[in-house]
Amino acid sequence: MDGRKPILSVRDLVVKFDLRGRTLTAIRGASLDLLEGETLAIVGESGSGKSVFTKTFIGMLDQNGRVDSGSIEFEGADLAGYATEAEWLRVRGRKISMVFQDPMTALNPLRSIGRQIQEVVEMHRGMSGRQAELAAIELLDHVGIPDPVRRFRQFPHEFSGGMRQRVVIAIAMACKPRILICDEPTTALDVTIQAQILRLIKALQSDFGFTTIYITHDLGVVANVADRVAVMYAGQIVETGSAEDVFYDPRHPYTWALLSSLPQLGVKGKPLFSISGTPPNLFNEIKGDAFAPRNPRALRIDFELQPPMFQVSPGHQAATWLLDPRAPALEPPAAIQAMRARYPGGER
Amino acid sequence: MADGKAVAAGPPAAVVAKGDAAAGADPALFTFAEFDRDAGERIGWSNYSYWRSTLHMFLRNRVALFLLVLLGTILAFTFLQPLLPNQRSPTLINIDPATGRQFRNLVPSAEYWFGTNSIGQDLWSRIWSGTRTSLLIGIIVGVVEMVLGIAFGAIWGYVRKADRVFTEVYNVLNNIPTTIVLMLLAYIMRPSFQTMVIAMCAAGWHGVARFVRNQIVIIRDREYNLASRCLGTPTHRIIMKNLLPYLVSVIMLQTALSIPGTIGWEVFLTYIGIGLPVSIPSLGNLVNEGRLIMMAPELRYQLIFPTIVVSIITISFYVLGNAFSDASDPRNHV
Amino acid sequence: MSDGTDKLLEIRNLRVDFPVRGGLFTAVRDVNFSIRKGETFGLVGESGSGKTTIGRAIVRIAQASSGEILFRGRRINGRITRELDSEVVQKIQMIFQDPMASLNERAKVDYIVSEGIINLGKFKNEAERLALVEKALLEVGLLPEFASRFPHEFSGGQRQRIGIARSLIMEPELVICDEPISALDVSIRAQVLNLMSELQKSKGLTYLFIAHDLSVVRFITDRIAVINKGELVELAETEELFAHPLHPYTRALLSAIPVPDPILERKKVLIVYDPASRDYRTDKPAWTEIAAGHFARANEAEAAEYRRLLAR
Repeated sequence: MDGRKPILSVRDLVVKFDLRGRTLTAIRGASLDLLEGETLAIVGESGSGKSVFTKTFIGMLDQNGRVDSGSIEFEGADLAGYATEAEWLRVRGRKISMVFQDPMTALNPLRSIGRQIQEVVEMHRGMSGRQAELAAIELLDHVGIPDPVRRFRQFPHEFSGGMRQRVVIAIAMACKPRILICDEPTTALDVTIQAQILRLIKALQSDFGFTTIYITHDLGVVANVADRVAVMYAGQIVETGSAEDVFYDPRHPYTWALLSSLPQLGVKGKPLFSISGTPPNLFNEIKGDAFAPRNPRALRIDFELQPPMFQVSPGHQAATWLLDPRAPALEPPAAIQAMRARYPGGER
Repeated sequence: MADGKAVAAGPPAAVVAKGDAAAGADPALFTFAEFDRDAGERIGWSNYSYWRSTLHMFLRNRVALFLLVLLGTILAFTFLQPLLPNQRSPTLINIDPATGRQFRNLVPSAEYWFGTNSIGQDLWSRIWSGTRTSLLIGIIVGVVEMVLGIAFGAIWGYVRKADRVFTEVYNVLNNIPTTIVLMLLAYIMRPSFQTMVIAMCAAGWHGVARFVRNQIVIIRDREYNLASRCLGTPTHRIIMKNLLPYLVSVIMLQTALSIPGTIGWEVFLTYIGIGLPVSIPSLGNLVNEGRLIMMAPELRYQLIFPTIVVSIITISFYVLGNAFSDASDPRNHV
Repeated sequence: MSDGTDKLLEIRNLRVDFPVRGGLFTAVRDVNFSIRKGETFGLVGESGSGKTTIGRAIVRIAQASSGEILFRGRRINGRITRELDSEVVQKIQMIFQDPMASLNERAKVDYIVSEGIINLGKFKNEAERLALVEKALLEVGLLPEFASRFPHEFSGGQRQRIGIARSLIMEPELVICDEPISALDVSIRAQVLNLMSELQKSKGLTYLFIAHDLSVVRFITDRIAVINKGELVELAETEELFAHPLHPYTRALLSAIPVPDPILERKKVLIVYDPASRDYRTDKPAWTEIAAGHFARANEAEAAEYRRLLAR
């Protein structure tokens, strides 16, 4: 931690959904600080709540979802209290922009991409006509679309998946947001294209100076982009820290399991570390540590009491009873120890 | 910044939030718990049954349930009504014994609940007789069209080699206006109940077949069907086990909607004069008769009563079809 | 490795065309490789590369336009006898990518798992069929009581294991695994990969493992073929391919794999593959064996260049 100010502060956020008379608690009390200018990656499996969590920052929860309690502080206001579309429009797309997994959901297939960018430029930057068109073309050029003048007139279906995602990023950039949320931006793309898009977002970040949140399940992508990492499980943040902390010195058993089940860290011919079972059903009340039923080395207390956040080192926190002084010492799995060994200590 | 040593050191514990929540906790809790690997597998235990869930979901829809009971009652009553005491034959022309003249256009009264028509027939019994005829036509035609449509549509949609031939045949059949098919058949055979049923089936089955074909084309290349092909499953079983079960809800909806449609056609055909003979009361005949005297406000009851029945039937089937379609979609089974 | 006498599957000059509006689209062309008995052969490429089409051509869901697919030396594409057909159905099975889409939602697990043996009539009576289903479910780590349930009650990982059970019950020799873990959650992938390795050992299975993710493929395969735009560009033993990638496309692909290690990721140099950078106007490329067991698609000049690289 280098004393950077938080740009967005989430405290004890609880998000609930009503589904056919039953209540699903998607976020079960999550707290997080987003620091100015950083790239934060939120990692989790499907259903961990990582997407829902960030959707609350821009008021895009589904109709049946609501923020039950907690606060989201941004520029002196509490976003959790926003109720009307008018309030959200001051933030969404202006201050905080989002890029989704499938670029087609963000693009209108019936309008040329130039018009779509121009529209956003006109709305948010107060330009008009020719001036806005030039700004739009400049944006296309900035996100690495070759021949932007010609491409300006084309329609979304004439673009490849990677190019479409670039267009969506251009639209998100049009209003010079302070925060860019990328929700699995490269999952639908090929690895070679993925690498290019990640590089593009990094370059834009240094040009425009915004703060980025990545939502992803791919730890390779996390390693590539993140300054800091937050690991989510069953609607809670179980570990946060710098990328080095989380990759080379993880403390939560779920983070251990997640990392050591990666084939990249496995030894050929030997079985991979595997996590049995499935994540808990969030319709039910969860007692204690949500990961305990899948954790072969869970403590008895894990089934009784929810662990608080323990501080491992400045900026590195994990919610596991293993960090309590009374807990027995437990060596992490072999793959994690191998990762530790690879860490060139001190070189941060 | 943490130094390199912290990485290798044991857990440095400083509670950040929520104070010392477990301060008073029993130290024995800080021991390893036993682990049951199978526990994680035993999820979602239930006695799920597709049809039971469908029924359950359907029964939860109160409006549909009410309309189902209403339709059932109407259909049962059309059969019961002639058996009740003091009922008149729907075709009997009632004559005033005093004057020897017909009881024409009597407004509803205690004697003639729905009044009489222009030649003195009892509208009450005519409506129930007519409803019976029309509902039966609708249901028989709906079922026959569905059976033919599924049989041909399934082969048309799934067997690629058959697609060309079926499409050509369909184009020819579809280009003959339905009215002409109906008129020709009604003309060749004598106007009767059977004629109506045959004519309507002949005119409608290929539409259902095409509908089924389109549905099958949508799902035939899904992975689970490819998987069945890899396992060497013969075509007929892929159709019966993989394709049709997925189409239950849309086919039922289609059929439910076609029943009031058929009744509507019956009304139309009677209106243009090639429907059922006047001697067989049907909703078509009744609406047609009522329409002729619609301009006299005091006689409008002759149009209003059959129209109400047609409306109830149409709306009921529509709502029921949709309710069943929703209920039979497993995505709605919580 | 032995010299090809133990080839279980051999593909020669395979070409697959699909009719599209106004002509034919060639999804796969000029593909040659063979799979040895007992190995795991990886086929890696990006979306639209034709890798899935090759897998489907082997199980004959897609029709080969030309070329030959030989299974134990006998041609299995085109017209074949009924006996050979049912033998191929039994001996070559497939595991699909999306466990959410590849199971029949309206059938019970019991039917799904025994579908294949019903087709082949591989049991004498109902009791034997039930016993086979139970055995298959146990082998993939599922409880026998699951047989009476419907697929939508299961999680992604469990569904994928049902898909594996349905293939296993046929006692196949070759299993085509079409991206079997890419649709699964990270924490579930290891379960399925471990299961596949165990089964390979206990049953002597041969796998064709189709994937886009080289890092997974590296962990599980013995040899890898890389495919780009319908053509194989390189084939080698796994560690050889990672140590000495020759074709520029392979190198671009290798450089793009995200590694879960922040320090390595930050140092990484991305190589971008530009097909236009190579001049094939006079010197046409061909499928060439550069070193023993290491093939690449190259013209004469490139082949010479690659040989020099390997010699170093």
